[in-house]
Amino acid sequence: MSGYLSAQLSILCLNIIIAYAIFLPAASGQLNLGAGGFAIIGGYLGGWLNSDFDGLGLAMQLSIPLAALATAAIAFLLSFPILRTRGVYMVLATFAFAEVVAGIVLNLEVVGGAAGFPVDGHADLSVLAPICVMVVVSCFLLMSTRFGLAMRSVHDDENVASLFGVNVHWVRVAAFTLGGLLGGLYGALYGHQYNYIEVQNWNVMFSIYVLLYVLLGGTQSPFGPLLGALFFTVVPELLRSFGAAVGSELIADGRFAIFGALIVLMMAFRPEGIVTRTMLERLMGRGAREKGAT
Amino acid sequence: MLLLQQIVNGLMLGGVYVMVAVAFTLTIGMLNFLNFTIPALFMLAAMFFWATLGGGFGSGFTNLLNHWVPQSMHWVVAAGLALLVAILASLLIERFTYRYMKTRFGDATEHAIPLVSSLGFLIMFEHLVIMTWGTDPLSVNSPFGTATIKVGGLLFGVPQLLSLVFSIAIVWVLHIMLMHTKTGRALRSIAENPDTALMLGVDVQRIVPLVYVVTGGLCAIAGILFAINYRTVGPYIGDQVATVAIAGMVLGGLGNIWGAIVGGLIVGLLEVLSTYWFGADIVKVPVWGLLLLVLIVRPSGLFGHATIGKGKF
Amino acid sequence: MTALLSLQSISKRFGGLTVIDDVSFNIERGTRSALIGPNGAGKTTLFNLISGVYPIDHGSIVLDGRDFADIPAHRRGGYGLSRSFQNIRLMPHLSTVENIMLGQHARSSTIGMLAPLGLWRNRWVREAEQLLADAGLSTFPGQVVADLPYGIQKRIEVVRALAARPKLLLLDEPAAGLNPAETDELLKLLESISAQGVTLLIVEHDMHFVSRLCQQVVVLNFGRLLFQGTPAAARRDRAVLDAYLGSDHAA
Repeated sequence: MSGYLSAQLSILCLNIIIAYAIFLPAASGQLNLGAGGFAIIGGYLGGWLNSDFDGLGLAMQLSIPLAALATAAIAFLLSFPILRTRGVYMVLATFAFAEVVAGIVLNLEVVGGAAGFPVDGHADLSVLAPICVMVVVSCFLLMSTRFGLAMRSVHDDENVASLFGVNVHWVRVAAFTLGGLLGGLYGALYGHQYNYIEVQNWNVMFSIYVLLYVLLGGTQSPFGPLLGALFFTVVPELLRSFGAAVGSELIADGRFAIFGALIVLMMAFRPEGIVTRTMLERLMGRGAREKGAT
Repeated sequence: MLLLQQIVNGLMLGGVYVMVAVAFTLTIGMLNFLNFTIPALFMLAAMFFWATLGGGFGSGFTNLLNHWVPQSMHWVVAAGLALLVAILASLLIERFTYRYMKTRFGDATEHAIPLVSSLGFLIMFEHLVIMTWGTDPLSVNSPFGTATIKVGGLLFGVPQLLSLVFSIAIVWVLHIMLMHTKTGRALRSIAENPDTALMLGVDVQRIVPLVYVVTGGLCAIAGILFAINYRTVGPYIGDQVATVAIAGMVLGGLGNIWGAIVGGLIVGLLEVLSTYWFGADIVKVPVWGLLLLVLIVRPSGLFGHATIGKGKF
Repeated sequence: MTALLSLQSISKRFGGLTVIDDVSFNIERGTRSALIGPNGAGKTTLFNLISGVYPIDHGSIVLDGRDFADIPAHRRGGYGLSRSFQNIRLMPHLSTVENIMLGQHARSSTIGMLAPLGLWRNRWVREAEQLLADAGLSTFPGQVVADLPYGIQKRIEVVRALAARPKLLLLDEPAAGLNPAETDELLKLLESISAQGVTLLIVEHDMHFVSRLCQQVVVLNFGRLLFQGTPAAARRDRAVLDAYLGSDHAA
């Protein structure tokens, strides 16, 4: 495998993992603009646990899962205050959370502050790919359980869900915490992939992009984030190489402008995202319907 | 005295935040829409202001400008262009956000559709500017320089002072319009409930674009004042200013214009004072920490809806 | 034998307005009752109080010997209560079968939360499909409900409420907006539900429908209990007639 291809696939794996971190809360009705906050916590914790010189010097097999779990624990504790907010207030609260985390880490000398932090252990594609597959499979499984059904019900109508026995508060807490777990996992893996992290990697724009490509893919089914991440990773890369091939810097530089325009058009004409339940049913449910008709 | 000077500086900085915070609070109060294109409009106006004065449109445009307009009036053309482009962009945004706000299912994420498309616009405009003028900070040939006045040992920057006075005056005019004109009443009825307003004969499709025009105008003025004050512009200035302005808006209470003024001044003060006491690196923590705290403990803001703004307005 | 549902002098105020004022009545096991009254009488509010959407200010609600005072809405399903809604409140982005499976939710254990539903046809899926088939709705299992016609959605709501295997089923205007053929279908469905031993309490404006289905009516007016008895007796009752004529003049 060429270096270019494996680098691109690594990015794809990471983007898919963070997409599911935002998808799980979104599927239960929470718009989380705090992806950057979770990534910073996971990334720096993973790096610090792994570092021989500044940190505990744990092996990568320990530092990555521990960082993810610790991020989940922080997300769990944070979910109680943050889930008191609704709608736009929640968007703002998660956004503020990410900024506070960035501000604190920027001032933590033990992890290098603004200069960034080197991570020792290297996780290449052979580590990322299996983890990514595991994440995707688990999310598909999770969404097919009664818990997944409860999440989607809370998204659609939390009052009615509650009257049918769904414990709305705990479903929301669980979705937020699982989002934190995957966000932390993403951050730790990112640190170990690139062996160097800095807060600027995960600024506001990062959180915005993740939320946008998850919504672009669609939050009605677990295919959505997969497609969103694929789209977000591959299309800019295609535009870049196409721009290079025809010698046009405009196309290469304009790929994010095109992404923004796509989001606007998508929200105007198909706000549920690319993958909808109706579409999946048309693609896959034909057999079931014919069987039902007989 | 040094502390007092810092307080003055904080209030001056707050002046820029105030106008952007008012733009935010206006769309959220009227249309229940957190408009993330505001940073883009602000930045577009500042960039156009710079480009007119600094040759950003190429030598042909500069020659034309020099030929037709006396040197001392160039800034008027620049400001006019900036205002025009921000308002036109804002009207374009209206077509893709408010027009599509009809809810179909009433589920938890549907109300965020305009917010998401406004993020799309933000990315689009920022990258269009980056494609045209790059990411480097650009220096503005300000017609006003760095004049200062000294009152009792305190230093006031003239442009800063002007912008603070200017923004409060504009908000005051806005407030008078909202409270006492027919259009203002129509706007307030839309803020209460768009469907009822429609039934009562308010021409929602004609009045709503007005909110966007005002938003664009406020952002443009703020952008121009920013360019004059700080004399450095770049594609990311919108993000930096708007994120703090959002904090100011939340502090004052969503939809409350006088709250946005006080909130904007408070965050300006907070930013300058925490830089003074704790250093520049830590600035984010108090501003965003305060915002998080307010959102969780008292989401209606420090002043609530009732005390200052009489409801939303 | 005690009544299945027993309301003891319950009251509810919203701000200064008393919406439910000292209402008491019992619903016997296995019966079919209707809750009727002019618009604004507090019928839906009473349903919301029984199912726990709002807390009551005063009085007690007892279902099958269990006082509901400290039981939150999401746990009342577990004690044998289920309901439908005046305006269709199906989950628009879930399929028909998934909506029915939401109805089963209160019956599943904590561990059951993590059992996959869609991968193979386990007992929950089979049961949901069976319920749909019994209601004559088996043609739409995988369809997203937002894409289905109104009459069908209305019946799916009833089936969803039934999936909780309730002792008491509260139906809020199940026949509203249905054409005569659909109303007949619904009537058959409700009779078969009742035959399985489920107690029915419905809010309904269509008095013809009520007298075909119900043995008992409870009449509310301005949040107060006006009458309780058979549909035939209600039609002869002076106070009930006044309340309805008054509302007819106002409308």
